[in-house]
Amino acid sequence: MLLKTSTLALLAVLLLLSACGGSSSDTTPVIVEPTGFTFDATPMITNLTNDIIVQGYSDLNAKAELFHLSALSLLNSPTEETLLATQLAWQTVREPWEQGEAHIFGPVDALSIDPHLDTWPLNTSDLESLLATQNGFNADVIKLFNDDVQGFHTMEFLLFGDGLTDNTKAINEMTALEREYLAATAEVFREYTQSLFDAWTIRHDANDTDSSPYKDFLLTPGNDFYASDLGVVEELINGMIGIVDEVGNGKISEPFGSDISSTDTSLVESQYSWNSLADFSNNIQGVLNVYLGRTPTQSSADIGLIDFVKAADAPLADRVNTEISTAIDAINSISGENNLPFRQAINNADARVRIQAAIDALGVLQTSLESDVLTLLKKWNV
Amino acid sequence: MNRIVDRKTEFITPINILLAGLLIVGCNNDSDSSSDKIIQPVYPDYTFVENSGDKATAIDASDSGHGFSTPISTLSEEELGQHLAGDANFEMAFTTAPNAEHPELDGLGPVFNNQDCNSCHQRDGRPSTLSVPQGQYRILLGANAGLFLRMSIDDGECAKPSTDNNYCKNIPVEGFGTQLFHRGVLKARDDWQENPFIGQADVYLSYEYTTVTYADGESVELKRPIFTINNSYDVVNEQQMDSAIMQADVRYSPRNGMPIFGLGLLELIPESDILAISDELDTNNDGISGRANWVFDPIKAKNNDPIPVSLGRFGWKASTPSVRVQSLGALRGDMGITNPLFPDESIANTLLHERYLARTGFVDTGVDEQGNAEASQEFSDDVVFYAETLAVPARRNVNNETVIAGAVLFEDIGCVSCHQPDFVTISGEVSIGGLPAPEALKGQHIYPFTDMLLHDLGEGLADNRRDFMATGREWKTRPLWGAGLTKTVNPAAGFLHDGRAKTVEEAILWHGGEAKQVTDKFVMLEKAEREALVAFVMSL
Repeated sequence: MLLKTSTLALLAVLLLLSACGGSSSDTTPVIVEPTGFTFDATPMITNLTNDIIVQGYSDLNAKAELFHLSALSLLNSPTEETLLATQLAWQTVREPWEQGEAHIFGPVDALSIDPHLDTWPLNTSDLESLLATQNGFNADVIKLFNDDVQGFHTMEFLLFGDGLTDNTKAINEMTALEREYLAATAEVFREYTQSLFDAWTIRHDANDTDSSPYKDFLLTPGNDFYASDLGVVEELINGMIGIVDEVGNGKISEPFGSDISSTDTSLVESQYSWNSLADFSNNIQGVLNVYLGRTPTQSSADIGLIDFVKAADAPLADRVNTEISTAIDAINSISGENNLPFRQAINNADARVRIQAAIDALGVLQTSLESDVLTLLKKWNV
Repeated sequence: MNRIVDRKTEFITPINILLAGLLIVGCNNDSDSSSDKIIQPVYPDYTFVENSGDKATAIDASDSGHGFSTPISTLSEEELGQHLAGDANFEMAFTTAPNAEHPELDGLGPVFNNQDCNSCHQRDGRPSTLSVPQGQYRILLGANAGLFLRMSIDDGECAKPSTDNNYCKNIPVEGFGTQLFHRGVLKARDDWQENPFIGQADVYLSYEYTTVTYADGESVELKRPIFTINNSYDVVNEQQMDSAIMQADVRYSPRNGMPIFGLGLLELIPESDILAISDELDTNNDGISGRANWVFDPIKAKNNDPIPVSLGRFGWKASTPSVRVQSLGALRGDMGITNPLFPDESIANTLLHERYLARTGFVDTGVDEQGNAEASQEFSDDVVFYAETLAVPARRNVNNETVIAGAVLFEDIGCVSCHQPDFVTISGEVSIGGLPAPEALKGQHIYPFTDMLLHDLGEGLADNRRDFMATGREWKTRPLWGAGLTKTVNPAAGFLHDGRAKTVEEAILWHGGEAKQVTDKFVMLEKAEREALVAFVMSL
């Protein structure tokens, strides 16, 4: 933002140039051809902010509410059907969260939403101690507990069991106190998704009536949060790189180990529900959403980072698009014909070949994003 | 309480001088003319410097929330591997011991302030400053809090560290120590069933507000944190005032997490260069008397150095000498993870610890059967290396004329008296934290904007608790590099030692004591000039 003094200075320079006169031959401007590329980022940032990020958090919040309602049904009417419905509701709310990990910045960090919702691993020892010693649970109490006994994976453990041999649980394996803990945790979870959505759309500091919605800082750069469009685009690209790195080099590679004798199933995320591969796939689907500027259920006419890349290098734009899809396909192929969950797949020789293919595909994508896409920022004539 | 500040004098602004300079020089086509008065704008040397960390400046990340989180690009492949391993350690959330499935994670607490490094240094920057929900007058510090209280018994000032005064170490509070751990593992306390996950005591935060009004009518609301303590473990609820931490001679100091990039560079600033600009007795009569904090150095002590004292460089009061001591001290203190440099639990030999061990069967003693600490040497080395080798974000908008004018004002009103713009780091054979320093940190011309020294910042910021030689009114000059990315990295972050300042402007207005003369000049600037100066700081 230029201040009043800047305008004054500019005016002064203009006055000076017009007043001083001099030979026109001395002042012929030298036209330098720009070497970079131009791209109006505003429509893209607007679309990604509103239709991908904010819409994603809206979806998360709506599904968190449905999950909470389902957990309440399970609490009050413990049947196989209500348990199954709540398990499905857990998997459903997991989807927008994992896709949203392609843009982990802003309130999700500032409000500690990420650790509140998704701390892994959970502390099963403390959870069992609480269930063995406390008489009841409510949201106010749970909210004060450490993050490793609340959030997605605590609820997953309560709903699906330990996941060692199966991801099913009979209703008679679930105590009334476990259902109460689950419902209270789901209520806290719902409060956090609401506060995340509100931070983006109403006030980034819920307790400060003067604070703006966080989305405004992206939509109108030139503030204390983002100095320019460049910062927002850099944020979005680095967000994609971050999750591609985490899935390829962390979530998949760490339990996978260097060979079949060095696997570690304890490191598998979402191991109780056997939802790991869906998690990984959704993570990279989140990357595709940001890249294309639309989710699979939205219209195809939107603007995403692909358009930014295309403005600089059309073949690269297409190549990255293909690489993202290839990575998703590779992850989806891991389960194979036997439909192996990830925690079993890492110990299966055939599946390990497919896992390695997914790691390789993610590595190729990460290299392209880091070496070819991120570096376009330097060539962009903002 | 409202504080009205009058504009006493007209200030000849650098912006005006710049404009005048442009006009006069611009029309002076006759180079031989001696009749025109030429006023050349004088730009400080740092005005147009973009790479604040020299070759250790971040690449492709300096405009976004990743600006504090990239490794120095000139690290060797092996060093980069260690940095990335340390990065994973930095984000590792520890759990209660024993954890059979994840033994590498266990050892948390038993009392602590946070479960992982990242929670107090979100995205390697500052933590969120907590706000109090509407309808409440205070908020309990829990998992969201990135700050804690240091504490000790008041014993006056300490002029010079020696064996006689235990090297100016602070006196711990009996049964507690020198840091109040407001969180705990599930069974940390005897009354854990009523107080699960509670530490030594509950700490609440509230704020009191004042307003500063400039002569032009603009005003800024400032908030000062107020901390209250309750539910101390050492007494029953009805007798809280009898707790050891509630006694009149106990001094507290809130400590917010701070950014961790560029730390290795700061450690390699030659000691002689820092001491050369100290002026404890204010011999130049400029009202500024930066002085060194000489602090106990656990690495020297471990190596049996007869004088285990070093120049303090890190922490809000420069109370630790190296990234290694700072990081591993936090690992043991803030999280309760013992490590080779600090092998004892933070609350060892207190009643809380003894009862905890007895109640839980001595399974979380801080060492294993072979005497190994909870964090290995490798883990410790990696996480320290990570903090030593994060790149410094590049500046933004250096050619913006408001930013340029702000640089001139920054120099002119005297901010540089403490915020020393630049240093050159050591070259040649040099160690960092007792180990050979990476080449990437050496010989770099850096622009951190700190003199690494202590200054009296007045009553408004005083915590009234000494820290080694630092008095209750002294604080180390904070580096300003990266300040402009603070809210990009974490939109809820605040400035100063307790996160009280929401903006750079608020932080400036809190400066008192030696800095009051500079703050007064800032207050007397025109609004556009104040904004220009802030724009310069935000460009860093």
